[in-house]
Amino acid sequence: MGTGGLLSVNELAKRYGATVALQSLTMDVAPHEVHAILGENGAGKSTLVKILSGVVRANGGTMRLDGIEYIPHSIVDARRAGVSTAFQELSLLPNLTVAENLLLPNVSGGPFKMSRRGETVDAARQVLSKFNVTDIDPRSRVEDLSLAEKQRVEIVRAFSHEPRLLILDEPTAALPDTTWLFDQIRRLTETGVAILYISHRLGEVRELCQRATVLRNGVSTGTVDLEGINDDEIFRMMVGRAPEARFPGRTASIAERPVALEGRNLAAGRLHDVSFTLQQGAILGVAALEGQGQVELFRALAGLDPISGGTILVDGKPTAIASPQQAMAAGISYVPEERKIEGVFSGLSTAANVSLPKIMENSKAGFLTYAQDARAITEPAKAVELAERYFGFRMNDLSGGNQQKAVLARALMSDARCLVMFDPTRGVDVGTKQAIYNMMRAFADKGGAILVYSSELAELVNLCDACLVIYGGRIAAEVPRAELSEEHLLSAAHGHVDDAPLRVAS
Amino acid sequence: MSAADTTPMTDTAQASDKRRLLTGLASQGAVLITVVYVLLWIIYASEQPSALSAYSIESLLNNSLPLMLAAAGQTFVVLQGGFDLSVAGIISLSNVVVAVYPVEGPFGALVNLAMVVGIGLAVGATNGFLVAYMRIQSIAATLATMIICQGIALLILKAPGGYVSEFISYELTGSLFGVVPVAAVIGAAVAVIWLAFRRTNTGIALYAVGRDAAAAELSGIDVRRARFAAFCWAGVLYGCAGYMLSAQTATGNPSAGEPFLLLCFAAVALGGTSFSGGSGGVIGSLIGAATLMLMQKVLFSTGVSSFYTGVFQGVIMILAVLFAAFVQYMSRSRGNR
Repeated sequence: MGTGGLLSVNELAKRYGATVALQSLTMDVAPHEVHAILGENGAGKSTLVKILSGVVRANGGTMRLDGIEYIPHSIVDARRAGVSTAFQELSLLPNLTVAENLLLPNVSGGPFKMSRRGETVDAARQVLSKFNVTDIDPRSRVEDLSLAEKQRVEIVRAFSHEPRLLILDEPTAALPDTTWLFDQIRRLTETGVAILYISHRLGEVRELCQRATVLRNGVSTGTVDLEGINDDEIFRMMVGRAPEARFPGRTASIAERPVALEGRNLAAGRLHDVSFTLQQGAILGVAALEGQGQVELFRALAGLDPISGGTILVDGKPTAIASPQQAMAAGISYVPEERKIEGVFSGLSTAANVSLPKIMENSKAGFLTYAQDARAITEPAKAVELAERYFGFRMNDLSGGNQQKAVLARALMSDARCLVMFDPTRGVDVGTKQAIYNMMRAFADKGGAILVYSSELAELVNLCDACLVIYGGRIAAEVPRAELSEEHLLSAAHGHVDDAPLRVAS
Repeated sequence: MSAADTTPMTDTAQASDKRRLLTGLASQGAVLITVVYVLLWIIYASEQPSALSAYSIESLLNNSLPLMLAAAGQTFVVLQGGFDLSVAGIISLSNVVVAVYPVEGPFGALVNLAMVVGIGLAVGATNGFLVAYMRIQSIAATLATMIICQGIALLILKAPGGYVSEFISYELTGSLFGVVPVAAVIGAAVAVIWLAFRRTNTGIALYAVGRDAAAAELSGIDVRRARFAAFCWAGVLYGCAGYMLSAQTATGNPSAGEPFLLLCFAAVALGGTSFSGGSGGVIGSLIGAATLMLMQKVLFSTGVSSFYTGVFQGVIMILAVLFAAFVQYMSRSRGNR
C-alpha cells in the first residue's frame, strides 16, 4: 500500500460486544480519487462510514490522514481534520430551515451571538449556489422538502465543510437524476478532494470511480481497479465462497398444489404493483438490498401496516389484513426481524411466550399455570429443537438463537398455515440456523407455505423453490429454482437483469 | 433561468410560503392560545366591568406570574425532549429561603434574587448533569431532585411561616410609576430574553435535539451540552417563580411549589409546545399559564363553582392540543400533495 495516499486504513476493526461489525479493513485512498466501497448488506460499510466520520471509535487497527494518525472523537473533530460525510439516513433536522441545517452547529456565528434571519439565509444561499443548487429555498423547513431535495441539502452540507476526504453514503438512493451530483463530484476531485463513494449501483460506481474496495463479512477482500474487472467477478468477491451449510432436501413435488397466499398488484409505502403466488408446501424467497420495499411487503402481510393498493388472497379468497389479529385469523403467522422489538415479552418465561397464541384455550377459568404452558408447547418446541430445560427461563436470559427458536415455536403454536418470515436467521449461531432450516423444511413438507426474506443469499438459493427479487419497490425478477444462484440473485438485486442494466425511476 | 423556468418556480414558492405560514402557526401555538386568552378577557370584562380596572389587572398579573415563570422554565426542558419535575421542589425551596432569610431594601431584594437564582442554577445543573451526562431518564432524575429540594425546604422551615422583605412583597407586586405593573414588565422581559435566546446556537440546538437527537449529533451539535443548558435555564426560571410567589404571598410555605407541578405542564401544552420535543416555545407557555389563571377568575365571576375549575382547565387543554394537531396535520398533508 502506498503511503502517498490521502487516507490509509490498516486492519481497522470494530466490535459491539460480541458482535463483530468490522473485522479487518485495509485500504488507501489517493487525492483526486473517487474510491468505491462495495459489499453486501451487513458487510461493514456503514460501520466504516461511522468510524471515519467520528461517530464511533474503532477497537483496532490504524487510520492515517496525510500520514498523521487520525482518530476522530466527534463529527466536528472529523470535519476539523478535513473529513465530512453525507449520511445515508440523512442527518437533517426536519423542524429547522434549510439555512439553519446548512450552518449547524454554528448558525449564529458565535456562542453569544444571535442569528439574523437575513444573514443566515444569505449565507445559506451562497453555499447552495456555490454547488449549483438554485431551486431550493433556504427559508423552507426541511420537513417540507421532497426526499430528493433533502438528499441534495445533505450532500451540499457535506460539500460545504471543504473536506479533503468526502464520504458519500448511498448519495443517489433518493436522487432521480444524478447529473448534478456527478458534476459536483468531478469539480471537487479536480481540486484534489478524495471521495469515498458507497453505493450499490454498480453502473454509477463504474461511471465515477477508478478503484473499489470490496468488503465481505467485515473483511476487506481487496482493492480492485474497476477498469479490469467485470460485474460478475465483483459479485463473486462480494459473495465469497463460504462453506456450504447443510440444507435439508425436499421430499415432495409442489407442482400442482393449490395457492395458499397470493398478492395482486400490492402497493404500500415505496412498494408498487407487486404480485406473487405462494403455493401450499412451497418456500418462496425474497431477495433485496436494504430498503427496497421488502419491509413494507412483510409488514403488510403481517397486518402491521395497511396496504394502499392491490389485493391479498388467502386460499384464493380476497382477505382484508388490517391488523395482526386478522392476519392470524387468516392463518398467517409473522416471524419478525427484530425479536427484541417486535417479537417477545422479555420478562415472561419462554413457556408463556410460546403458548401465547393459545392463551385462551389453555386457561382454566381464566388462570394459567406453568405446567399447562409447558405441556402445551412440547410439540412446537420439539419442531424447532428448543430444549425443554429452557421452558422456565425468562426470555431475557435466553441466547439470541434460543429466543429465535421460541419465536418460531410460537408461530407454529398458532396453527398457521402460512409463515411470513423476515430474516429469521439474522444474528443466530450455526446450530440454530440448522434448526431453523429443518423446521422450515418440515413445515413446508406438511403442506405449509413460507414466504421468507433473508439477507443471506445462500439460504435463499438452497432453501427456496423460487425467489422474488425486489428492487426499487418493484419485483425486478422472479427466479425459478433451476436458475437460483447467489450471483444471479445479487446482480438482480442490484437492478441488473440478464446483464442489461435496469434503472428504475424513483 | 429563462422565463419558462421561473413561472412554475414562483408558484411553488408561493405555495411553500403559505405552507411555511401554516406550519409556523402550528409550531408556535402561541397564536391560538392568544386568541383563547383574549376571548376569556372579553367574557371576563363583560361579566364583571371592574375587571378592567388597573388594580384588577395588576392583581391578576401578580397571581399569574409565578406560574408563567415556571411554565417558561419547563418549556426549555420539554423542547429538548424531557420532563422536569424538580419545578415543585425548586419553587418550594426558593420560597422558604426568601421567607427565612429576608434582606430588606432594594439591595436586599437583589441579594434574595441571587439566592434563588443560585438555588435554581445548582439544582438545574444537577438535573442537567444527571440527564445529559449520566443518561438517567429525565423524569427519574428530576423526581429525585424534587424530593431532595422539598426535604431541604422542610429542614429550613418546618411549617408555613417566616416573612418576606417589604421591598419584595410591596414594590414587586405594585406598578412602575403607578402605571405599568411590575409583573407585566417581568413577563415581557422573559419573553424578550427567550426571543433572543432562541436565535443563539444553543437555542437552535434545543429544537434540533428535541426533534431528533441522533441527527443533531450527526449535524455537529453537542447534544449533551444543549440538554444541560436547558435544565440550567429551567432551574433559574423556577427560582424566579419561587421568588415572585414569595412576593405575592409574603410568607414562606415548605410545600408552596406543589400546585405548580401539574399546572405548569398544562400551561406548556396549552401554549402549543409538543411533549415529544422540538416544537413550540416559551411565549406560548407564558400565555398558556396566564390563560389558566384567568380562567379561574372567569369561572368565579360567572358564578361557576370553583370545583369545576379543574374540569374546564382540562377540557380547554384537550381542545387546544387537538386543534394544534389538526392545524399541523392540515399543513403537512397539503405539503405532501
